Amino acid sequence: TREVEVAVSRDCATALQPGRVLVASRNFANDATFEIKKCDLHRLEEGPPVTTVLTREDGLKYYRMMQTVRRMELKADQLYKQKIIRGFCHLCDGQEACCVGLEAGINPTDHLITAYRAHGFTFTRGLSVREILAELTGRKGGCAKGKGGSMHMYAKNFYGGNGIVGAQVVKNEDCVLL
Amino acid sequence: MAAVSGLVRRPLREVSGLLKRRFHWTAPAALQVTVRDAINQGMDEELERDEKVFLLGEEVAQYDGAYKVSRGLWKKYGDKRIIDTPISEMGFAGIAVGAAMAGLRPICEFMTFNFSMQAIDQVINSAAKTYYMSGGLQSVPIVFRGPNGASAGVAAQHSQCFAAWYGHCPGLKVVSPWNSEDAKGLIKSAIRDNNPVVVLENELMYGVPFEFPPEAQSKDFLIPIGKAKIERQGTHITVVSHSRPVGHCLEAAAVLSKEGVECEVINMRTIRPMDMETIEASVMKTNHLVTVEGGWPQFGVGAEICARIMEGPAFNFLDAPAVRVTGADVPMPYAKILEDNSIPQVKDIIFAIKKTLNI
Repeated sequence: TREVEVAVSRDCATALQPGRVLVASRNFANDATFEIKKCDLHRLEEGPPVTTVLTREDGLKYYRMMQTVRRMELKADQLYKQKIIRGFCHLCDGQEACCVGLEAGINPTDHLITAYRAHGFTFTRGLSVREILAELTGRKGGCAKGKGGSMHMYAKNFYGGNGIVGAQVVKNEDCVLL
Repeated sequence: MAAVSGLVRRPLREVSGLLKRRFHWTAPAALQVTVRDAINQGMDEELERDEKVFLLGEEVAQYDGAYKVSRGLWKKYGDKRIIDTPISEMGFAGIAVGAAMAGLRPICEFMTFNFSMQAIDQVINSAAKTYYMSGGLQSVPIVFRGPNGASAGVAAQHSQCFAAWYGHCPGLKVVSPWNSEDAKGLIKSAIRDNNPVVVLENELMYGVPFEFPPEAQSKDFLIPIGKAKIERQGTHITVVSHSRPVGHCLEAAAVLSKEGVECEVINMRTIRPMDMETIEASVMKTNHLVTVEGGWPQFGVGAEICARIMEGPAFNFLDAPAVRVTGADVPMPYAKILEDNSIPQVKDIIFAIKKTLNI
């Protein structure tokens, strides 16, 4: 079903000319279909689906998560510049879709490990912004009690944050890896 | 003849007043050089002296070095001598060891020694053991260098001190400079040495300027590997240290000398082969010993010094058990207050000295 909503802006109307009314019409759909590139198969009968449907609720949920991550990362950037966050601070503002999209495709019981750009994944794996920022600022309310810092955040079924480049590749046994 | 000599002598007597004038000569203002520039100079001079020497590592060429230690070298020597490598320590350390075996003299830079753990197999099994395993046939004239130990706020995986780990292995020489003079002399000796040498620098010392004595400005200034330096003479207690804690020991000594305690501060300079003669002679003079290091206590540099003192003649001269001041026995925490308390501070050194002297 399509809902057509009409918004009338009276303020704009008075600014333009008396008597004329600006009408903005917005069309909402409840879901959207996306096409996924077909991938080559090796020893499989059928591969992953080639279309997917994003519902309105999911879309809003992902958007909210991405916005939260964005604002958290921008704040961390500011804190880093003020030297309240020390050492290393690898941010993912601009790359929120990676962590949110990945979380959308897996279950909370799947295992995840990543490299040093871990704040977004820590959030999507279930930790709160408060715990993440407390960890970054070295407070004992942080997820690692302030002892780990930016790259060493852990959660249930989330094995961090690795400071050594490439370490996550070798550790990934039956984890989902990014 | 006499007339001629009279002719010569009179003018000389008249000019003798002029000849007596002396020109005043003042010593030049002391040259202040940072540790970073000292290492840069040392590498530059060695690269110039021997064309077999080359530097490889992450970001050493176009970026001028992750900590700007190799600034200007790529512009001067080009792609063939200063080589940027991919982020694969195991890969490029292996390449460097192979090059050393084939006759070149590589300087392999690790961005920090924490990453050398990825390549430690190459350092130990391929470089350190080879001269012995081959019965003296194959030498590996390689230098592994980079910052070691704690930095500021870089947490557990980037703050480990490797002095004890590398010092454990026969076949390796391990040096740990403190000031600029040490840094330049030791890096030059390391490059000229035909053995694998690990040079443990310190990131927090890179920007610190020190007075550079005139002999250190020469292109052939070498500090012998295996010789410690007594930085401060003293009579009451011997304080042995390496790398950045040497500065803390000197500060502690300055504080204590106001209370009448004269500390003899020894800068080890070399971890392996350790200069036990200097340390023993000092302990035999002062009868007390405190060792200070940034690494973990168990199986550390301090532990080795204490063991060797006990095995040698200096044991009979000790009036009190030797005390080790080390980093805390935990992975380096991130929070500032925890980090500051995990490395030896001046107050910890003063406390240990007073405890040893029973004051």
